[in-house]
Amino acid sequence: MILATPETGLVGLVLLFAMLLCGVPIGVSLGLVGIGGLVFALGPEAAVVKAGVVVVETLTRYELGTLPLFMLMAHLFFSANASRDLFDAAAKMVGHRRGGLAYASIGGCAGFGAINGSSLATAATIGLVALPEMRQRGYSDALATGTVAAGGTLGQMLPPSGALIVYGIIAEQSIGKLFTATLIPGISQMLFYCVVVWLLVRWRPSIAPVGERASWAERGRALLRIADMIGLLAVVLGGIVLGWFSPSEASSIGTAGALLITTWRRRLTREVLFRAFSETLRTSGLIFLVIIGAIIFSVFISVTGLTDAVGQAVTAMNLGTIPTLLVVAGLLLLLGSVLDGLALMLLTTPILLPIVQGVGMSPIWFGIFITRAMEIGFVHPPLGMNLYVIQGVAKDVPLNRIFRGVLPFLGSDLVHLLLLILFPAMALWLPTMFGQ
Amino acid sequence: MMRAQTIMVWTGGIALVTAASLNVLAVIGRHTGLPLKGAIELVQVGVLVAGSLALVMATLARNHARVHLILDRLTGTRRVVADRICTALSIVFYLLLLSGSLWLARDLWGSQEVSELLDVPWRWMRGFLNAALVVVIALLVRQLTERAKP
Repeated sequence: MILATPETGLVGLVLLFAMLLCGVPIGVSLGLVGIGGLVFALGPEAAVVKAGVVVVETLTRYELGTLPLFMLMAHLFFSANASRDLFDAAAKMVGHRRGGLAYASIGGCAGFGAINGSSLATAATIGLVALPEMRQRGYSDALATGTVAAGGTLGQMLPPSGALIVYGIIAEQSIGKLFTATLIPGISQMLFYCVVVWLLVRWRPSIAPVGERASWAERGRALLRIADMIGLLAVVLGGIVLGWFSPSEASSIGTAGALLITTWRRRLTREVLFRAFSETLRTSGLIFLVIIGAIIFSVFISVTGLTDAVGQAVTAMNLGTIPTLLVVAGLLLLLGSVLDGLALMLLTTPILLPIVQGVGMSPIWFGIFITRAMEIGFVHPPLGMNLYVIQGVAKDVPLNRIFRGVLPFLGSDLVHLLLLILFPAMALWLPTMFGQ
Repeated sequence: MMRAQTIMVWTGGIALVTAASLNVLAVIGRHTGLPLKGAIELVQVGVLVAGSLALVMATLARNHARVHLILDRLTGTRRVVADRICTALSIVFYLLLLSGSLWLARDLWGSQEVSELLDVPWRWMRGFLNAALVVVIALLVRQLTERAKP
């Protein structure tokens, strides 16, 4: 070994941070720093061969299929008008209450998030349906946009979350266990948002006028329209939690079910299928490149011994579990204001995971925690991608008003993150209960 | 180009749907006492085909996950130069991946590397991936050399 020292790892980390900030594609930054670092640590031949091994092994991994198959399911459901139907059903159930459409938006985001696993897609899709409706009914712009921007983050926190699949692959953790572990944090996050809406409309009733109550017949029809999708999701997620099948098999059942449902709804045309395939491949390619880069980078970091050195330094500080986790959370939130979610997860996981394990927390808990922390970055400036997505939908609402609307939800996010640190059982109880 | 793209989309999509169908049959078989032998190996082939084509499709669509904090504040020539540097770095990365993969392919060519249950010949799968990496590099070189749009 030539330069396999923690210092080399540190230089690589700084270089990676600089490349990411300069806008070099995330996968390319990770991979180039990883291979470059391995050249110094192991020599050029070993570095290039390792890169070759990683690219082949990654693209032949059985679990890798989970990601494109869940994406294909989401694209098929999208063409079957899932977002409109989910929002309509929630709006018919609670839309007549004060703030009802805001609750419905959160419910719609949770439902659509459980289909597509992406924050940006959830915010954009539900925003297109819910924002015009809320604004037409006299909801304040801040409440309407803030609700959808925050609700969009449920996309990554509810299974099948794309972020958790990526984390599971790079941290070599069970994706099924991660999906089960995220259920309580995801659902409690949704309830937190509902409480925020409830408090806001009680404080200032004028921001969300009361609407007309839908008849039971209308509610029944709306629920019937989503019964097939909800039934399929229940089978997919229930099957994973109960151990009937693996996440990869679940994604296949989801795709097959989505094909049947779109055919049943007479929405499956050649064009729809082509668009779904094309979108799935484009997005998967982007994420596969990132995964390949991340694996090469984590090999480099582990070869340098940086993780051990940082772990020993943290242990020597003798901070204790909760203070260490609070420092980690602070670091993630700080980095989350300059790096986007995926970059944040891939940059920090190789370093922070051993530290978190060193203070007695499980990698499964860390997966939920880092996803939760990175979701917060989606709604706070300067990055706050969901805010920009919502502004793209409601072009006449200034960005600062959207941010004002999302602030109360951001406050609840921080409380929720703190609860996750104080009560790790929020994430770990369900997997233990189901014997995973 | 459009025709090639259409063929890639259908091939990748069908590979995914085939992998999904095999998985569904494997689940049904497992729960009914009729296990499908080698389903995982065939799913791996589907994933490799779809994954390789996905890399090509993402490059073709210039679909990159990147941090936009500084990039979006650049305008005119500076933005063009920044994009070109990123493309050049991407070419270097893909070239390194291809070199490593070709190195392995050469070393393992004579070993008749096949899968455990169905004897799937991995060297041809590796060849498919390497061909996809070559196409990705060619596309990136084309993007690097084309004139910037006004």
